[in-house]
Amino acid sequence: MVALVIALALFFDFTNGFHDTANAMATPIATGAIKPKTAVALAAVLNLVGAFLSTEVAKTVSGGIIREGSGGVQITPDIIFAGLMGAVLWNMITWLKGLPSSSSHALFGGLIGAAIAGIGFSSVNLEVLLQKVILPAVFAPVIAGAVAYICTRLAYALTARHDPETGSKLTQKRGGFRTGQIFTSSLVALAHGTNDAQKTMGIITLVLIAAGTQPTGTGPQLWVIAACALAIAVGTYAGGWRIIRTMGSGLTEVKPAQGFAAETSTASAILASSHLGFALSTTQVASGSVIGSGMGRKGTTVRWNMVGKIALGWLFTLPAAGIVGALTALLVKTGVVGVVIAAVVGTAAVLFMFFYSRKSDVGHHNAVEVEEAGQAVRFAKKKALARARAKANKPKDTQR
Amino acid sequence: MKWLELLTVGGATLVAAVTVVVLYSFAVRLTAIAGDAEQASPRLTRSLAYVCFGLCGLAVLYGLYLIIPYFSK
Repeated sequence: MVALVIALALFFDFTNGFHDTANAMATPIATGAIKPKTAVALAAVLNLVGAFLSTEVAKTVSGGIIREGSGGVQITPDIIFAGLMGAVLWNMITWLKGLPSSSSHALFGGLIGAAIAGIGFSSVNLEVLLQKVILPAVFAPVIAGAVAYICTRLAYALTARHDPETGSKLTQKRGGFRTGQIFTSSLVALAHGTNDAQKTMGIITLVLIAAGTQPTGTGPQLWVIAACALAIAVGTYAGGWRIIRTMGSGLTEVKPAQGFAAETSTASAILASSHLGFALSTTQVASGSVIGSGMGRKGTTVRWNMVGKIALGWLFTLPAAGIVGALTALLVKTGVVGVVIAAVVGTAAVLFMFFYSRKSDVGHHNAVEVEEAGQAVRFAKKKALARARAKANKPKDTQR
Repeated sequence: MKWLELLTVGGATLVAAVTVVVLYSFAVRLTAIAGDAEQASPRLTRSLAYVCFGLCGLAVLYGLYLIIPYFSK
């Protein structure tokens, strides 16, 4: 059972990786700052490095929501197995739909569902749930979006060049931001590694402690860290091209300076939150930044119906992963046969979704068509400016 | 409820992101000015631009230094 859970946890890490490549690399790919394949390779390497840098998050993320230890309930590998199953399946579904949804929420949802079904409603600590999951989910996109909005405004204001005599616009020469994007997106990938690989490490360590092979209160062992880092790097390299498409061109049109501002906000928000102990979801921060930067640049529109779809996806993440987790927990409760059934059904579902995804191939070659358009803007600057002015004259989008 | 922590995270995010973006924007702008044909002292503005890029890089490195636990031991 322990081996099975570890395998599933590593697979979850893998889905987490390819689910979240988009957070770091969607905007630079969309502006043509980095070639798609290079981008995912870079993100993979930085995730690997990031996973080794810090193990602070591993200790805090999963703790507390389910009452564990003395006076509470004993978390068994069965519950963790069921929770992971819910998380993995929900990750696959959202990937298929191209929705950026939080892998950590899927994990929390799965674990909560499994705990309720396996132990009872009393096992869930509602206050901690509110504090650790629901409030951050509301504030992550708001904070990141507001900061990205301010940064985008600043970036454009500081680099706007007017002729002092005539007041007409000079060539803006913002090409430097494209280069800058390479660094900021790398920072996001690094932040992701320090943040998300930790969750799986925490889970595996929890299982090892529950199984009695590791003393209570110790940190993750080296082989666990290495395996998790590797799994998330491979997942990142596999690239969730569907989600990259959504983040890179589905939400709003991204220009280099705007992408730079968005990535800087994402990276600082993730690093600040994971360091100061108020864990925010990488995905929600990144989506918030992209939306905020879209509102900050004149002449862009944010596609609010896509935003709505994503928000709906976030709402469903906890309950949906929870239901799968609960069903799996009920199956596992029946004994060895149940575990086998759960494992087989889960694998079959994942394989089915994988083959179903083959029907409409989204890969590095066609994830974001904006790449060429982004390059073309260099030559069609005047047109773009005229368009931007025309749009700026229109009444502004009403903000939420 | 951890409102204070939330505020700290929001504030830290804002300060960090604005620092990096402002420095980088200045650098980009100075580079652009240095590239102008009629510019009198391109060397001065160019070196100023590099100073800004450098400061921006330092700001990022300092942030990483703060975050990686290995250094703060």
